[in-house]
Amino acid sequence: MSMIEIKNLHKYFGELEVLRGIDLTVDESEVVCLIGSSGSGKSTLLRCINFLEEKNEGEITIDGQLVTAKDINEIRQKVGMVFQRFNLFPHMTVIQNVMEGPLTVKKMAKKKARSLAMALLEKVNLLDKADEYPAMLSGGQQQRVAIARSLAMEPKVILFDEPTSALDPELVGEVLGVMKDLAKEGRTMIIVTHEMGFAKEVADRVIFIHDGQIAEEGPPEAIFEHPENERLQNFLGQILV
Amino acid sequence: MDAIINLANNSIEFFKTVVEFAPKFIPGVILTLQLAFFSIILGMIIGLVVAVLKLTKYKWLKKIMNVYITIVRGTPLLLQLYFIFYGLPSLGIMIDSFPSAVIALALHNGAYISEIFRGSIESIDYGQREAARSLGMTKWQAMKRVVLPQAFKRSVPALGNQFIIAVKDSSLASVITITETMLLARQFGAATFNVFPIYFTAGVYYLIITMGLTKILSIVEQKLKVNER
Repeated sequence: MSMIEIKNLHKYFGELEVLRGIDLTVDESEVVCLIGSSGSGKSTLLRCINFLEEKNEGEITIDGQLVTAKDINEIRQKVGMVFQRFNLFPHMTVIQNVMEGPLTVKKMAKKKARSLAMALLEKVNLLDKADEYPAMLSGGQQQRVAIARSLAMEPKVILFDEPTSALDPELVGEVLGVMKDLAKEGRTMIIVTHEMGFAKEVADRVIFIHDGQIAEEGPPEAIFEHPENERLQNFLGQILV
Repeated sequence: MDAIINLANNSIEFFKTVVEFAPKFIPGVILTLQLAFFSIILGMIIGLVVAVLKLTKYKWLKKIMNVYITIVRGTPLLLQLYFIFYGLPSLGIMIDSFPSAVIALALHNGAYISEIFRGSIESIDYGQREAARSLGMTKWQAMKRVVLPQAFKRSVPALGNQFIIAVKDSSLASVITITETMLLARQFGAATFNVFPIYFTAGVYYLIITMGLTKILSIVEQKLKVNER
């Protein structure tokens, strides 16, 4: 069953056409990695899916529901988002960050939200930091809290926007580790990443975006071992040296 | 020698007058505190509402708020007090002197405080709003739960400044017959011709109030700092 269906998506920033007709279907439990050089439109595509950017043309269907500006708050509960710069709420403790969505949006009882948050923090291995403020945590820890925060809404899909790009190299592994666990659980994930090793290992499908269009897509072996598109060959040549 | 004795005598006289008049200022000081308190609290409410309205998508609301801020910041507070107390009655609106003063001072402070709030709201990283919205929060929930608490913390130092200005500006209420600290000082001075020690006493009272306020604000600031590295 398809979880996300995108048809003919166009997005302009002023005169500039950033997305030039994207068609994409993501199945339930599928892990899709978006790769491409900066400015190719991969982050914009991700941000259009949960309306952080408003699309100009095209249709997005999530879990059988057509996304419109009107019911966007409802859709967003189904779509988790993890940001490059974590965007944790600095005035709340780690556990308050994780509880915030269930408490405010779902109106969950505090006790229930707390035990849910504890379970999620255990999952990302940060139970001991529950009462710290984000400023006391390393980047890798903050990103794991951000993942737990988005999981707390029990989303159907999680979007990752370059989740390890702002991290020190030695902290990348712990975040990718958590993401691998999520993939094994059968979560539907769309990941914009520059970590080709990770994409190779975890992705069911890799999509190469160039100039606002899907230039090539396929299973990781095909994309990384036998790239057909010349742009993709260049791109891989530049980063896999 | 005579000069020294003279100075000593004058000083004794000076402080005698200060001690004599200090208790007589209490009713005026209480009025000053009341004016400052109400104009700060109402000013904060006005400031918050105006700042949030200015950030909505409705252009006409934004324009109205800008007109308010422009008028208040662009005219003297003295004139605003005259307008409300002496001007409005000619339009058939009669307001007593104390409420008039509170309204004028609150509207005045509200305009400045709204700009303080707007600045600190806009200084909060846009990613915070995006993270809140991506959890499914409405715009208002994101504002209330995520943006405003952080913005408020950032606005405390500037608010402190404005509060101190509000205390001192309350002295202008004397022009619309409110016998707060400065009007009392003028009356005592006119009655005794002993101007210097009397204004000195008034000044000390203002200093005590503003120093107390500064102290309270620095405690608030420390309390809000807990979540920083």
